Amino acid sequence: MSRRTGVITRTFALHWARALPGARFGFAPRATRRAAFARATRLALEELGPAFVKLGQVASVRPDLVPPEYVFEFEQLQDRVLPLPASEIEAVICRELGRPLSELFDDFEREPVAAASIAQVHRATLVREVRPVIGEVMPAGTPVAVKVVRPRAAGVIEADLAEARRVLGRLDRLGLSRRIDAPALLEEFAASLASELDLRNEGRVSDRFAHDFRDDPFVMTPRIAWTHCSRSVLTMEYVEGWRLTEIDDAARAGVDAFHLAVHGAEVFMRQVLVLGRYHADLHPANLFVTPDSRICYLDFGIVGTTEPAERINIAQVLAATVYGDADRALCYSAELGLVVPPHKQREVRERVGELMDRTLNVPGRPADIKGFATGFLSVMADARVPIPAGYGLLVKALVTVEGVARAIYPEIDITKSAKPFATRLIAAHMARPDRIAERLPAALRAALRELAS
Amino acid sequence: MAEDQFIRFLAAWALVHETADEGWKAAVARGAGQETGSMGAGPEAFVDGLSAMVAEEKERLKASLAAGEVEPAGSKAGLESKLDDLLFEVGELRGRLESMQTTLDAVLAEAAESGEK
Ligand SMILES: Nc1ncnc2c1ncn2[C@@H]1O[C@H](COP(=O)(O)OP(=O)(O)OP(=O)(O)O)[C@@H](O)[C@H]1O
Repeated sequence: MSRRTGVITRTFALHWARALPGARFGFAPRATRRAAFARATRLALEELGPAFVKLGQVASVRPDLVPPEYVFEFEQLQDRVLPLPASEIEAVICRELGRPLSELFDDFEREPVAAASIAQVHRATLVREVRPVIGEVMPAGTPVAVKVVRPRAAGVIEADLAEARRVLGRLDRLGLSRRIDAPALLEEFAASLASELDLRNEGRVSDRFAHDFRDDPFVMTPRIAWTHCSRSVLTMEYVEGWRLTEIDDAARAGVDAFHLAVHGAEVFMRQVLVLGRYHADLHPANLFVTPDSRICYLDFGIVGTTEPAERINIAQVLAATVYGDADRALCYSAELGLVVPPHKQREVRERVGELMDRTLNVPGRPADIKGFATGFLSVMADARVPIPAGYGLLVKALVTVEGVARAIYPEIDITKSAKPFATRLIAAHMARPDRIAERLPAALRAALRELAS
Repeated sequence: MAEDQFIRFLAAWALVHETADEGWKAAVARGAGQETGSMGAGPEAFVDGLSAMVAEEKERLKASLAAGEVEPAGSKAGLESKLDDLLFEVGELRGRLESMQTTLDAVLAEAAESGEK
């Protein structure tokens, strides 16, 4: 056992041991017990450092691979590390952009705006004018955020990843992580890492988002200065505003918070149900509210996609959920690959119905999507129904959107936005010529019966 | 948007047949008063919700007709969005080329520098 492996094993063991009283040594109700261990695991990951934090972040968008209590606990993981000295970052910029810093930027601030394990962000201004893919030209002097991949980031993380692989392998053999699909998680982690190390991916997704929402006056994304970009350097317009993690009542008073929260939810519905591309890991640190009452989207880490054929089923599940129809929700979920075996259907349906009453349908309280989602995933886990990856990603994203909307306007009920969206889509689907052709004879018969009676 | 057209169509139909029957009016009233998940009734709840939306759309249609607004021609809107998409693709390619050029310049500069040494 290498020294590092020993440290990792001990850290987990220590935090789990500390969780025992909270879990009343295994005698607490199941949900309490599970929550206590999920929290202990998060603390262990934080202590073990960036690679483990990132691994936890990956897990937090995969309800198909890890149990729900971990999913919602791990989303709190913040990837923040001590910044590297500005000189090291400047060296990367000059080497990759092929010019001295002074020919590229004025007022390059040596103190970073943020430092995470892979990249750090510095503020500067443009020396000369740059034309973005979308939007107005950025004149010389425009403030920009320069995001730079830290030298050695890949090496450090990969070394830790190899270690994590060993530890998870051992946990697997001991049967300690029965409920976690560790190999699949590590695979996902490696893939997401590769894409994050090339910042041009992020820039492209950002431009695409700007294009998708070009006619939406309440949404913005920073313009990218492609002449100042390379694999490890992404230069974009600097956005002024409040991060959702720091928005307070004064800020809320200055903008139309209710409208922005509703709009945020609608943006998501449009992404999922109409455009087929959606943000799967919006965290509040990556969303800004600007002083002119717009929502700004930063950092497009994970993008989920939906196929046209899936969208109508997703709309059906959403509609069934907000209209409180457990039967229908499960029936269309099956179309999306979430198949409950026949002998468990009755029990699952009853539990889901009861869950709807408890979380979505409490008079005087806004619907609680997060509570519903956690419960729903637990019901499926208990019934040993595997969650399809795309389905899990979507559920998690919906919960995140609720969290984001609540950060802007705490009393928001996002089912109120989902309802008209889903209803409209289903109505449009009802009117498709092939479907009308299929159903018309029956409708005519019904009409004739009505007329004849 | 295509998904709005069916509701528009229903709304127009409801407008022309202004003397809607009692069943319809009741459905609209139920739909408008609906709380999330409160019906638990399945298809009827959905139909009520849809009815309320159609009724709302009908009022909007009525107002816009009264104000003498004309609908934009569908084909023109389609052409515009096609043009937008094309412009975006060209812009995206330009962005890619620009960052590739930057990288190329940087590599050339590095090569020249190491040649000088
Ligand atoms: N265009 C911008 N304008 C203003 N601030 C920015 C901009 N881009 C990034 N930042 C700041 O830098 C922080 C980190 O940026 P970003 O989220 O892109 O980096 P990251 O390394 O992917 O971090 P993480 O994924 O952990 O949030 C943001 O939370 C924001 O505060």
